[in-house]
Amino acid sequence: MRYMNRLGKEHLGAALIITLGAAVLLLGLTYETGTLRQMGAGFLPVTFGGLMIAVGLAIGLNAAALPGRTADDPASVHPREAPQWRGWACIVGGVIAFVVLGRFGGLVPATFFSVFVAALGDRENSLRSATALATVVDIFSVAVFHYGLRVQLPLFQWG
Amino acid sequence: MHQSLMDLWYGFGVALQPGNFMWSVFGVLIGNLIGVLPGMGALTTISMLLPLTYVIAPVPAILMLAGIFYGSQYGGAIGAILLNLPSHPPHAVTCLDGYPMTVAGRGGAALGITMMSSFFAASVGIVVMIFLSPLIVKVAFKFGPTEICAIMLLGLLSGATMSRGSPLKGIAMTLFGLVCGAVGTDVISGTMRYTFELPDLADGIELGALCMGLFGIADFLMHVNRVKVKPIQARMSMKEMRPTRSELKQAFWPMVRGTTVGTLFGAMPGTGPTITTFIAYAIERKLAKDPSRFGKGAIEGVASPEASAHSKTQVDFIPTMSLGIPGDAVMALILGALIIKGIQPGPQLITEHPDVFWGLIASFWIGNVLLVVLNVPLIGMWVRMLRVPYRYLYPSALFFICIGVFSTKNSLFDVAEVAVFGILGAIFLALEFPVSPIVLGFVLGPMLEENFRRAMLLSRGELSVFVEHPISAWFLAACAVLVLAQLYAYARHFRVDPGHGGNPGLVVE
Repeated sequence: MRYMNRLGKEHLGAALIITLGAAVLLLGLTYETGTLRQMGAGFLPVTFGGLMIAVGLAIGLNAAALPGRTADDPASVHPREAPQWRGWACIVGGVIAFVVLGRFGGLVPATFFSVFVAALGDRENSLRSATALATVVDIFSVAVFHYGLRVQLPLFQWG
Repeated sequence: MHQSLMDLWYGFGVALQPGNFMWSVFGVLIGNLIGVLPGMGALTTISMLLPLTYVIAPVPAILMLAGIFYGSQYGGAIGAILLNLPSHPPHAVTCLDGYPMTVAGRGGAALGITMMSSFFAASVGIVVMIFLSPLIVKVAFKFGPTEICAIMLLGLLSGATMSRGSPLKGIAMTLFGLVCGAVGTDVISGTMRYTFELPDLADGIELGALCMGLFGIADFLMHVNRVKVKPIQARMSMKEMRPTRSELKQAFWPMVRGTTVGTLFGAMPGTGPTITTFIAYAIERKLAKDPSRFGKGAIEGVASPEASAHSKTQVDFIPTMSLGIPGDAVMALILGALIIKGIQPGPQLITEHPDVFWGLIASFWIGNVLLVVLNVPLIGMWVRMLRVPYRYLYPSALFFICIGVFSTKNSLFDVAEVAVFGILGAIFLALEFPVSPIVLGFVLGPMLEENFRRAMLLSRGELSVFVEHPISAWFLAACAVLVLAQLYAYARHFRVDPGHGGNPGLVVE
């Protein structure tokens, strides 16, 4: 069962690379390719895309030919762990919060909510501890980044 | 040689100027701190402080970045020895014998030996740098676009194959990085490539955003709710840090051997310090009279790997500065930072910007002295820092990432790039792809393209020119050797152990 998961992973990885490579190649063809002598904008992108497809195929073949064997260094592999949907959503959400609130709210709300949302990703953080952390970081940020380093993000802005 | 010494003297003059010195100290301190904290490596820190380098002059900027780099090496050993927590890969080996020493009450001595090995190794590395670099420069004047292309290919290939995991995946990631480097306006033709009608992408992807996403955010994504921190019992005093005479004697030759390993590998582009630590440890084990001591607190197992990591770190700068070929992802970042400041690393760096080059070398030595001086009293503080729970660390770090990237170009779009690369990085890591080669490809891509184009223009489309030029041919031969070595290892492994998992000694970062 375990190696079947591994097998899936390898194939997934190979598929990802092949897909990316194909996308790069196809888009690259829309730019002028030119010749070796006079390379256009598309020459190297097409080459890279093609190489990616080739490597992707190699990875896939490698996985198919030798099931249960990966060339990976076992020390680097995380043991099969449960997906952390909450953690992931909150971390990515934190960055997005910064972007959105930076645009529509200003430095103060952006700081607060990016820390707050990210902190909520950790199971051990309560709403209270997240709020406390966010407040502390916010105060620090206003002092250091706004007044100290003069970062060009207004404290508050509306749209 | 006399000229080198004169230049070095000049370098000390540059490095000791108050402004430069201050930034050097800052970098070293931050690097040390980050090295102690698990999860945030030199790469993350340098990316975070990259925006800072845009507003300060080139010399203090690179002094700071370099300080972070080797400062973090010192810090990493502390976590590895006291807590069995390698802050980043090169110190994984140090845990093996360092932690048992702490358990046996000799943790202080282990730290002391580490510091001595590090200082010794770094000094040797610096000496090598001093005398080797001008020699390289002499050869380097013969470097035309063909040669630059060939050496970049070697750098990319070794970076891809030597990083963690399968070499094929490393190559895939390098290619991805190369493509990311192509995003934006093509310099020669003015065509917008892969910008998807987004005007913000006209200048390409922001280096800091890419790195912070791939290493910072992806790191958080991998570690959230999964980090387990052990309670700390360590309490260090200055006296405890002095190793006994016999320990010193035991550690001396391993230290020298480790330094040799690190220096030899240092010159090779694409290898990180981690692989040198594994090799150093393996050598010590083979040479020891009583190999069973290893893993239980053998001081050789601490001295040698640390020495190799530190000398490697210093020597790493040689190919970066004198040839413009970064040894690993961190060097690639530093290289990127230099390019942004308008300094083109490569053969002309030593002659055109002697203050940068020699100031840097001098600062290495000063920085290492500083680290030894600082670490002794500050160890207590570092240990206390380790007590901050991860759940407070990462949201704060996330915010610092956001604001850091934003302040580079006052662009919230760049921060959005961080999110994108964070997700991508996490996906790659989950599928067991190494992410460091992406940075290598990203930084070297534009240069590779430019030189390749030029080479083809000059040779009128003849690819054979790469083999006709002797220097380029040598580098291509090295590439071929690398590929063959990988194929050989693959075939051998297949024949010996068809059903077994990977051989850890072979493909390690």
